[in-house]
Amino acid sequence: MSADERPGLYVESTIIMTTVRVVAPFVLTFALFIMFHGADSPGGGFQGGVIAGSVVMMLAFAFGIDSTRQWLDVRVVAALASGGVLVFVGIGLGTMALGGQFLQYNEYLPYYSKASKYGIELVELGIGGIVASVAIGLFFLLAAGFGHAAREAER
Amino acid sequence: MSLSLLEGSLLAFVLCCAVGAALLKDTLASVMAFAAYSLGISIIWLVLQAPDVGLTEAAVGAGIMTILFLLALANTVTPDADSLFESVRWRTVALVGAFVLVMAATVPSLPAIGDPTAPVVGGEVTQYYLEHAYKETQVHNAVTAVLAAYRGFDTLGEAVVVFSAGVVALSVLRREVFA
Repeated sequence: MSADERPGLYVESTIIMTTVRVVAPFVLTFALFIMFHGADSPGGGFQGGVIAGSVVMMLAFAFGIDSTRQWLDVRVVAALASGGVLVFVGIGLGTMALGGQFLQYNEYLPYYSKASKYGIELVELGIGGIVASVAIGLFFLLAAGFGHAAREAER
Repeated sequence: MSLSLLEGSLLAFVLCCAVGAALLKDTLASVMAFAAYSLGISIIWLVLQAPDVGLTEAAVGAGIMTILFLLALANTVTPDADSLFESVRWRTVALVGAFVLVMAATVPSLPAIGDPTAPVVGGEVTQYYLEHAYKETQVHNAVTAVLAAYRGFDTLGEAVVVFSAGVVALSVLRREVFA
């Protein structure tokens, strides 16, 4: 890989675009499955969040980093990250408001019989949102300087 | 301690990848060796029946980390490697060797894998979690029960660390990351 090849590293390929278009929904579904089903099988928010974040990286791989960045609304990513923290803290503080300890899920039991299970799954979903959006943000942050070093080396 | 063929070959593979990641001179090759190492480790976790850890290692170690390394690599100019491997400094080898020896010396005092008399299995806390996890938290995966319920406050801390690390990285570098 020589320096002058770098700025045009993205190659538009019909095969990759078609494959990603077909595979991406399944990967996102798998990520959500890992997050939700973490209560009963291996997995959870951290793992599922990373897989969800990798969907965006896959799209960037197929359609180019810049066009993916323009397509993705920054408010969605920011809302995912802060929403995840708010959901987690909200569930934790909710139990305290009902007179229990922080994150003592069984305080919700009078309102819903599966309260613990779904409380935990909501928490996992919140974690997933945080991890996915931070992974996406870091990815675009590193990619923002894409080709800069090569261009400066030419000068 | 006896190793099955699968475990033995996985360990050898991981060891080769680790040495390769350390010794290869070309950074791209080094990153690839590191990704292969992570993948091997995640399979080892699966074989050792720790699928939660294995999934994390595969997604974070082999997946995201490799992508971030590759992006960082694309942002730098690396000189063309003139030889395949780094030149080895024997003093470093001696130091690393001594460290490995010290670590290896602790291995015989570990309980065997799956030993029912191991302190962590028979421990009061472990038994409590295994017995009460489903009754108290309604989830079958004891790992998730500990993570999100018994140790929920710790997990909140972890999640907030990830969140604030992301926020700090984005704001310190002050780049127009999103259009």
